[in-house]
Amino acid sequence: MTDERRTISVSDAMAMAKVALERVQVRVVGEVSECTVKPGYKAVYFTLRDEGAAMPCLMWRDAYASCGAELRAGQLVEVGGTFTAYPPKGRMQFLVRSLALAGEGALRMQVAALARQLEREGLMRPDRKRPLPPFPQRIGLVTSPRGKAVHDVIRTLRRRYPYAELCIAGVRVEGDAAPAAIVSGLETLYRHGGIDVIILGRGGGSYEDLMPFNAEEVARAVVASPVPVVTGIGHEPDTTIADMVSDLRASTPTAAAEAVAPSTEEIEGRLRSQARLLARALRHTIRDGEHRVRALAQRHVLRDVSGVLAVPAQRLDAARADLLRAGPRLIEEAGERMARSQDGMRRAAAHVLPRHGSALALARERLLDEGERFTKSFERQVALEAARLEDLSPLGILSRGYAVCYDETGERIVRDAGSVGPGTRVGVRLARGSLGCLVEEIRTEE
Amino acid sequence: MTEENVAAAELAFGEALAELEAIVKALESGQLGLEDSLERYERGVALLRACQAKLDDAQQRVTMLVGELEDEGDTGE
Repeated sequence: MTDERRTISVSDAMAMAKVALERVQVRVVGEVSECTVKPGYKAVYFTLRDEGAAMPCLMWRDAYASCGAELRAGQLVEVGGTFTAYPPKGRMQFLVRSLALAGEGALRMQVAALARQLEREGLMRPDRKRPLPPFPQRIGLVTSPRGKAVHDVIRTLRRRYPYAELCIAGVRVEGDAAPAAIVSGLETLYRHGGIDVIILGRGGGSYEDLMPFNAEEVARAVVASPVPVVTGIGHEPDTTIADMVSDLRASTPTAAAEAVAPSTEEIEGRLRSQARLLARALRHTIRDGEHRVRALAQRHVLRDVSGVLAVPAQRLDAARADLLRAGPRLIEEAGERMARSQDGMRRAAAHVLPRHGSALALARERLLDEGERFTKSFERQVALEAARLEDLSPLGILSRGYAVCYDETGERIVRDAGSVGPGTRVGVRLARGSLGCLVEEIRTEE
Repeated sequence: MTEENVAAAELAFGEALAELEAIVKALESGQLGLEDSLERYERGVALLRACQAKLDDAQQRVTMLVGELEDEGDTGE
């Protein structure tokens, strides 16, 4: 090779190293770290590592684009290429010509492809996601009957929402048989009926452990669910295909249980607020009615419930009686007068105009008719007035369900609960009759 | 209104609460007569009681449809 005693420049030395390195062509498996994929760059830079060593790598843009992988730190990849040197920095590099995800990386690529396909079918569209029932009565759970997840869900529901029945399909969630087992668990719940929402869950695990939840048959069974499905699979950052097609994705089984069940505190708070609103609404209705009654009662004719009503009515009655009496009397008087004149006339004209007697009888008839018409029309007038009074009467209001409360003396209307004390007697006037009541308890409004 | 024929205690919690909320809304509208208001108020109180009773005597029921529940503490799955 070269004479060791000959002196050369740094550039020549690096050029020699470059040539030597580029003869080394290998395939290397390692974990990606410190990965730089930037749009403007001509190449992608990353480091491959194992426990004992690190290897700086570069891959030209077009080679990277055609490999189909998306590099992220932590991935296990298999690369093929040659070593090379970068003389300006004196750096050794591995020039990657081909790159493939290895192990889990390959699984991830499969999963990503399935996810893209299901997405194209529209199975992940937001409008497919159904709302969860606010108060489920029966909650389904598909998970392993062993381990933490099932107990996490049971415990969470017992704490937050023990009102629902929990129906569990305990199935295998790991291994090759798991997808079919999960599907049959889901289908058991669909068939069981009466289930309002289903939790599909499992505890955390490696990416490979979660693979059954990336199976296409599981995804399709979730899509086929007649009720909303909430997934709680693995831990926070893990997202499986089942998560993507479910109606709601919770990060863990516990979070899924929390999502399907409102907490007892929430429910009780809601009940309390409804109770408050209910009481307030009724109070409002009553107060409103009260105001209307009061406004009516303040009208001139109704100042005094009993007196005001009675006086005009009595006056009308009296007037009516007077008229009824007066009518016939007037007629009688007229008749008497006529009889007298008749007599007089008869006497005077008995011999002068005896044939005029029949005319007088006719006039008498006419006068009697007149009197009757007069009393009839007055009777009508009275009836009309009475009806008008009835309209204004608090009795009419009472007949609509209001009641008037009087104090012991029966003279004063009780308007304020605070104005009477327990043990006080009060009278309550109803539409029909009245009640003598003993006050037991005073409730003043807040 | 047909729901009013169902005894409050026989309703599911969610149904009872939904009806209660509808009653409150109707009462708040101020469009009801006094009798109607009272009637609904009474129904509302019955629904409230039923809801509270359901909350008070709730016991979790767990039914295994498939598989057998194993004790916690098991590692793995």
